[in-house]
Parts: sequence; C-alpha cells; structure tokens
Amino acid sequence: MKIDVHTLIGDDCITLDDGQKVHDQILPELKAGHPVELDFEGVGVFASPFFNAAFGQLLKDLPGDDLNRLITIDNLNPVGMSVLKRVIENSKKYYSDPKYRRIVNKVLDEQAANG
Amino acid sequence: MTLERRILAVPTINDDPPDFDRLFRLWSQVNDDFLEVEFNFTRCRFLQHNAVAFLGGIARLIEYRGGTAKFNWDTLQDNIQGNLIQNGFMGCFSESRGPWVGNSIPYQEYPTKSKENIINYLKVKWLGRGWVNVSQGLCNAIVGTVWEIYENAFEHGISPIGVFCCGQHYPQLHLLKLCVLDFGVGIPSSVRWFKKKETVSASVALRWAFRPGTTTKPNGMGRGMGLDLLKEFIKLNQGELEVYSHEGYALIREGQERYLDRSTFFEGTAVNFTFKCDESYYHLASEEHNDNLF
Repeated sequence: MKIDVHTLIGDDCITLDDGQKVHDQILPELKAGHPVELDFEGVGVFASPFFNAAFGQLLKDLPGDDLNRLITIDNLNPVGMSVLKRVIENSKKYYSDPKYRRIVNKVLDEQAANG
Repeated sequence: MTLERRILAVPTINDDPPDFDRLFRLWSQVNDDFLEVEFNFTRCRFLQHNAVAFLGGIARLIEYRGGTAKFNWDTLQDNIQGNLIQNGFMGCFSESRGPWVGNSIPYQEYPTKSKENIINYLKVKWLGRGWVNVSQGLCNAIVGTVWEIYENAFEHGISPIGVFCCGQHYPQLHLLKLCVLDFGVGIPSSVRWFKKKETVSASVALRWAFRPGTTTKPNGMGRGMGLDLLKEFIKLNQGELEVYSHEGYALIREGQERYLDRSTFFEGTAVNFTFKCDESYYHLASEEHNDNLF
C-alpha cells in the first residue's frame, strides 16, 4: 500500500484526528504483514499529535521490528523527522517499559520534596 | 433574573508578570454567575496584546455565565482605541470599523478547535506579513511548534469558551509576540488529577508537564510531548516562553528554565511567546531518515 499523505490530509499534519485517519488506513495492512509506504511530499507543517495518533500507537499492536520492516517513509522534511523520532521514542517508553510511569512518579515525588 | 452590576477599572497593562497579576485580579472579580460588567479604561494608558486577548476571554466568560460584558469605548485613549480597532477587538464587541493592517496581530477567539482557521492565522496573519525574515521551512517549523499550545489548550484545557489569542510586532526590537490563553482547568489541575496528588504545587506540576513524554491523558498514546518540543525549540532559537497557570509560572529561554509559585491565582492557562524576527537566530532540526524508527 502506498499513501500520498498530502492528498489524504493536506498541507499540515498536526492534529490527532488527521493522524488517526492515517493510522486507520495503515493498521490493517500492517497487521496483515503488508508493507506500507507513506509519502509526505508537499506537507509543510508537522506537530506531535498527528504523529502520536498515526504512528505512536502502532506499538500497542505490533512489535517495533515488524514496523521497521514494513513501514517506509518518504520525503518527510527534517523538522517533521525530528518530531516523529521524538514521538516514537516517547511511545516506545510508554508501551514497552512498565516501570516508566513509576519512575515518573518518583521524580515528581522528589521534586515535591525539594520544593 | 437580576444581574449584579460591577464596573471594573482596567489599568495600564504590559506583559510582565505584575501585568498578568493585574489581569488575573480582573478575572477574579468577574468569576461569578449573572454579572453585568462594564470595563472602564479611564486609568489605562496602554494595553499590550496579552491584555487584549485576556479582556476578550473574560468578556466571553461573563457571557457564558449568564451575564453581560460591556466595554466603555468612550473612556479609551485615542491610541488604545486605534489599536483595538486595528487588531479587530472592537469589531468583535461592537459595530466598530476595522480591522486594518498594522503592527497588531489580530485578536482571535476560537470557541472550538479549527485547524484551518488557526493555521491560517499563524501562517498568514502572524508570520506572513513580511516582517519576519524567515524561510518557508522555518515558518512551518514555528507554526508546528506553536500549534502544540493550541492543541494542549483544546485537549487538556477543557475550556468551556475556547481559546483566545492576540499578538504584536515590535519593529524596533525585531520581536514578534503572541499570547494564547484558555479559561479551562489549568495545567496544575490536569497534572494533580492524573497523578492523584492534590498536594503537588503548581510550579512542580508545570515542571512535570514540560518533561519529555509526560501526559495527563489516561488513555493516551504516549502523548503530551508538545510542551517539551516547544521548550526545546524556544531555548534553541533565542525565543522566550512564559506560562501562567494557577499559581504556577514557567519562564523558558536560552540558558534559563524557571518554575515558580506566585501569589496570584488564575484557573486557566496563559502562554506568552516572544520570537526573534530574523532567521539568523534559528537552528532548525536536521534529522535524517534512518531505517529503524521503531
């Protein structure tokens, strides 16, 4: 499957709803083991809610190795790539590390104790 | 239903912390149902962009609570009146003429999230006026970063009346300012609710909200990164970001990150940005693609 993201979403990939549109199209293909190619040519503005919905939540359903093998991303500008990498890094923590939230809690407690 | 009449004197308001205190004191005086409020500007010598956004917001808040808000335009100084016509504020609350194109970035209110309208505002009315010497790529990067604040305001703020914003260009200082605010539950309230910790101070909650990967959405997808990305962008590009929410205050700029508890309370969230108008100050991300994103 190949998706022209600009055709599907438009100039700006920034909202959760738009990210969900992409997610809903690619998840069944990925679950079936089919490769997915996403072309971001023509998209200018990126924000984390879009990537969270489109890609971040994929890790809930599929292992990272499968996603690396099946997903190809083309023509994503460097700013968009930077946001995407941060989103995925964050999502990996969220879905794979059961201790993550406990660590965040601990940090919060320490900050509160230190004023 | 008889409305309780109140006349509020609007003082001179810039965009330093004591000025936000003045705004929050105005808010505390209208934070009741069924009020008939008149705003009087006799003592006001200047209203900066943050005050314009805030006054519009509290007027809508009064209306939302079954009251009425009236601005006594006759008490405005000519320079302030000119500015309020230019930025469209008077047009929103009266049948005034305007707006026209000047150094003001229009007053806008968004009762609901409207991607197209907000992005158009940021791209065209804020950055696209020829006073910011930035490339299309940098314009897009700034717009995407600022969008994170709007997204947070709508997703986390739960503001019953939406989001309000206004900006100003300062040609002599080569600065561009924008204030975005909501009248929702505030960042500390979201963090306390999520953490089940009522004792967390507002400043600690703000600090937590700006950490990478934190989210107050219980069914999230590892969300909540917006503030962290915003912080990084501001620090890297010599901008300035101030956030006021409850008693909490965050100040973020190059080499400085401060979280304080202040004495004045505001239930919502006010974000005040300052950006440089020249691309030479900016460092854009240069991330290259690699095959192992996940």
